[in-house]
Amino acid sequence: MADSLLICVSAAQVSAAQWRSGRFANCTVFENDENGLNAFQGYLQQTQQMPVKMIVDAVEEDYRFESLPHSFGSDRAEMLTRKLKQHYRNTPYFSARPQGRDTGKRRDDRYLFCALTNPELVTSWLLAVQERGLPVVGIYLLPTVSAGLLDKFSLKPTNLLLVSLHNTGMRLTYFRDQKLRISRLARTESRGAGVTKTYAEEISNTRLYLHALRVMTLDEQLSILIVDRDDSLAELVQTIVRDSPNIDCRRISRQQISTGLGITIPALESSNDALSLHLLGLRAPDNNLAPASVTAGFRQLQLRRGIYKFSGVIALAIAVWCGVHAYEIVDTRLEIDNAKRQTVELQAQYLAATREFPAAPTSAENLERTVEISKKIGGTTRSPELMMELVGESLEQNPAIFMSAFGWKYDRTEISVDGAASKMTASAPATGMPSPQGGADIRKQSALIEGEVRPFRGDYRAAIDSIKTFADTLAKRPEVAEVKVAKLPLDINPTLSLSGNTTENRDQIGKAEFKLVIILKPPL
Amino acid sequence: MNADDLKALRIPIFILAVIITIGAVAIFYLNQSLGALRRDFAQQTNLLREARTRLQRSGDEKQVIVRQLPAYRNLERIGFVGEEQRLNWVEGLRLSNQQSQLFGITYQIGAQQPYPYAAELNPGQLTINHSLMKMNFNLLHEGDLMRLLTTLGKQGAGFFAVNHCQIDRTGSANINPGSAVRYQPNLRGECDLSWITVRAPLSTGATEQKP
Repeated sequence: MADSLLICVSAAQVSAAQWRSGRFANCTVFENDENGLNAFQGYLQQTQQMPVKMIVDAVEEDYRFESLPHSFGSDRAEMLTRKLKQHYRNTPYFSARPQGRDTGKRRDDRYLFCALTNPELVTSWLLAVQERGLPVVGIYLLPTVSAGLLDKFSLKPTNLLLVSLHNTGMRLTYFRDQKLRISRLARTESRGAGVTKTYAEEISNTRLYLHALRVMTLDEQLSILIVDRDDSLAELVQTIVRDSPNIDCRRISRQQISTGLGITIPALESSNDALSLHLLGLRAPDNNLAPASVTAGFRQLQLRRGIYKFSGVIALAIAVWCGVHAYEIVDTRLEIDNAKRQTVELQAQYLAATREFPAAPTSAENLERTVEISKKIGGTTRSPELMMELVGESLEQNPAIFMSAFGWKYDRTEISVDGAASKMTASAPATGMPSPQGGADIRKQSALIEGEVRPFRGDYRAAIDSIKTFADTLAKRPEVAEVKVAKLPLDINPTLSLSGNTTENRDQIGKAEFKLVIILKPPL
Repeated sequence: MNADDLKALRIPIFILAVIITIGAVAIFYLNQSLGALRRDFAQQTNLLREARTRLQRSGDEKQVIVRQLPAYRNLERIGFVGEEQRLNWVEGLRLSNQQSQLFGITYQIGAQQPYPYAAELNPGQLTINHSLMKMNFNLLHEGDLMRLLTTLGKQGAGFFAVNHCQIDRTGSANINPGSAVRYQPNLRGECDLSWITVRAPLSTGATEQKP
């Protein structure tokens, strides 16, 4: 319930009161004439900026209860706008509120259309408010505001007639199922001997009126609530009960109003409109008659407030985030300083401990690692000795083989057949173990043996058999991983051409030369 | 929302924009600062852990120095640790040729390079280099090759590994009875050696500064 300026405009007078911190202040009353308007403008000048809620209590009002086909969204808005314009061409102050749905098969939507049919009644007062720059929340008909009483006093009869006295006369507002259906303002005298009888007649007439409008039948039970803000209608209750025993009539006294609504008696007595203004301050009804052009200022005010609130939330969130992180930064700096201090202390202790160490050219770790590396290198170095022994022993078992060249290599790649660095791409392994998978990174010993078969008399089959026997001899050694025949005396590859002669002349026979590649198992 | 609404909301929107901008800058700055500090803290924590571990192991370290120093000094002496001792290599080669009674060795030493198998040795802070030496020589028979390599190893001129050797027949194996030379080479040999050296980083601790 934000602070607001509450204004009630009627044909006789205009009442204004401020609603501050959920409390209703006394009303200031202005006559509805030129002087009153001037005084009202002066009053507004002394009022600080706050939203304005306005009630209109006038005879020139209209209520229509209609059922329309069920719709929603833009169709519904369009239909309601069309209906409102159709009903109320001469006033901008109208509204339509849904009142539930019919119980029939079509289940149409029920609406209450209401309007202020004499806009001039509020024009000058509204203009004064707008000239002052006060945002207008809304303009409401007095009966819509009175509906707040039902909630406050927990009144739930099916048919309820709310009766109250105002400057302009007697207000009779009918609610069905706690929903406003119709209201009428009867111009009655408020003083005189027969006033109670007049009031009773108006109530009776209203009942007939409701019957004529087919809103309720005369057979239905009607509850009457008399809002007696000045305790002047006690006699009316007795009259109604006496004349119409089937009517449930109840009166709310001044004290009950004060207690039930939380308004002080002086405030309640400050104006005839004080009760309505207080109800408006408590809760503004949904039936706002003001067009968007009138409430634009309030809409902007709400947007401004929304943005300010959002800005505040953002600023608060940022401040909290920054605060937490700033604390974390300070904490981390302290931890870093602490770690540095501890590191320096430990280093000092370590330096003190190292003074007891024997003199060394480098750190203990480097000393140990250097010695380890020397052992590792010593353990991984190889010489051609083993390979030479293997070949020598195999040659002794194969006297027909004459070796002309011996090459040895210890590397990740095998020895090249051509003597180059590239890996051998010679023929497939003649015999021996297959190549170990994934062994490219492991250093291994390999040797290339170039030689010839002696004596050679042109019998290539015998020469090749001798070479293969020699290769098999080598491959059978447990140290050997693989033996490859890189070259044979006669290349029998079907993809290549082959030429020669079968003469037995030694000069023309040529040599039975071959090349073998021997690879030892990697750990060797 | 129309133009009038926007006009009326200029100031709050501006304030909101300012708050968001300032907030974004503050968040970015603090985030960067905190990130840098966290990295510093992690680094400092590592240093602290290392210092603590080092202190805890100082007793072991002393034992390691006592245990390994003689072997290290020996490696220094034979030229495995420190600068290359090429003069020693050449001298060792000359003596090996004499002692193996070979016919002379032609050698060629290349520029020092990082040892290609260093990663297998887990060198840590140590730098392992090697210099490739190509040797060409003549042999009387195959056994001379191993005698040469063994003799060279015994010279203590340095730490070397044999990478490749090649022996070919020279084709001039016929001994001339009337020649004044007692022996003539039958084979031509060729070997590639890696002379390996290790270098420790410059000393920083009190241990190394002690006399």
